[in-house]
Amino acid sequence: MTGGNRMGFYGLGAALLVLLISRPIFAHDPIFGLGPHVLFKNGFEVAAEVGSEKAGSEKEQALALEVTYGLTGDWALGVDLPYAFKEEASESSSGKGDVAVFTKYRFWRKDSLGLQESAAVLLKVITDTADTNKTPALDKGATDTILGLTYGYEGRKWYRWASARYRFNGTNDAGVNRGDKILIDFVGGIRPTPTGYLEPDTVWLLELNGEYGERAELNGVELSNTGGTEWFLSPGIFWTRRNFAIKAGVQIPIYHNLNGNQEESDYRAKVAFEWHL
Amino acid sequence: MKKQILFGLFGLLLLQSAFAAGTHYEMRVDGLACPFCAYGIEKNLKAIEGTANINVDLDKGLVSVDIGEGKALTEEQMKKLFDDSGFTYRSMIKKPLE
Repeated sequence: MTGGNRMGFYGLGAALLVLLISRPIFAHDPIFGLGPHVLFKNGFEVAAEVGSEKAGSEKEQALALEVTYGLTGDWALGVDLPYAFKEEASESSSGKGDVAVFTKYRFWRKDSLGLQESAAVLLKVITDTADTNKTPALDKGATDTILGLTYGYEGRKWYRWASARYRFNGTNDAGVNRGDKILIDFVGGIRPTPTGYLEPDTVWLLELNGEYGERAELNGVELSNTGGTEWFLSPGIFWTRRNFAIKAGVQIPIYHNLNGNQEESDYRAKVAFEWHL
Repeated sequence: MKKQILFGLFGLLLLQSAFAAGTHYEMRVDGLACPFCAYGIEKNLKAIEGTANINVDLDKGLVSVDIGEGKALTEEQMKKLFDDSGFTYRSMIKKPLE
C-alpha cells in the first residue's frame, strides 16, 4: 500500500468513527436514527455522549460534548465537540475528533391532545479539524455534509419515526473520493406506563437502521474494498426526569453486503446524558 | 433575632396575601406527549414575573399557573409562549385565587 493509499484507507476508517457521532442528539428522538425534535426558544441542550464500535479487528470509541441552542420553538443550532480513541490491530491512537456544526428546522407540526406529529430537515457539516498524523488516523481529510429529512409521531403511549439522510463525503487529502452514503431509519417506541410531568419516564425503542455506501474512487478508479450495505436492528431506551435524560442503545447487524474484503460491523453502542437548561 | 423572625413571618404573610389576591390560569394545550419535552413550558412560564405553582397535566393537555395580584396573562402572550415552547395553545380559563 502506498503512502497516499494508506492515508486514503485510514481516512475511510476515520469516517466510520464519525458515523458514531454524526447524528445530533435531541430529546425524544431515536438513538441512532434522526427525529424531528428541536428545542424551546432560548433553551440550551447540553449532551455528553459515549459511542463505541467494533468491526473485526477495528475498535473505535468516541466521546462527544454537544451544545444546542433553540433559536425559535422550531429551529435549533448546535455544535459537536468529539474526542476519539481508535484501535486497529496492535496500534492505537487518540485525540480531538472533527468538530461538527448543525441546524435543524421543524417545518411542519400537527398537535392534538397528547399527540404531536412533526417533520423536520437537518443540515450538518462535519469539518476536517481532527488531530492529524495519528496512526490509526483520526482525521478523514475532508469536510462532509449531511442532509436529512425526518417525520415523527409522538403520543402518550406510542412513538414512530422515519428518516432519510444523504451524506456528501468530501474528497480527502490523498485524493480519494470517499463515496457518498445514504442512511434510512424506521423506528418504533412504547411508553409502557404513561407518567406525569415530574415523574421518571421510560420509553423503549426498536430501530431498523440501513446504510448504503458508494464505492470510493481514486483517480477515477473504484476502490474494490469500499462501499456496500449494512442493516442493523437496534434496541434502545430513554429515561427522563424533568430536564434530564439518559439515552442508550446498541446496533446489532442483521445484514451485510459489503464490497470486496472489508471488516463487517460487529456492534455499535451509544450512551448519552442530556440536560435541558 | 426575634425581630428578624417577626419580619420573616410578616413577609410570608404579605406573599401569601399577594397570591391570595392573584389569579389561577388553566390553559388547554395540544401536543403534550412527553414530560421531558414539557420542561420548556415550565422554564418560559417561570420567566414571567409573579408566576408560581406551575403544573402540567399531560393526559388532559392542561397547564396551570398562579400569578400574583396586579399581573395578568393574555391570550396573545400564551399563544406565543406555547409556540416558542413547541406546542399549540388552545384556550384558557381563569379564576381569582381565594
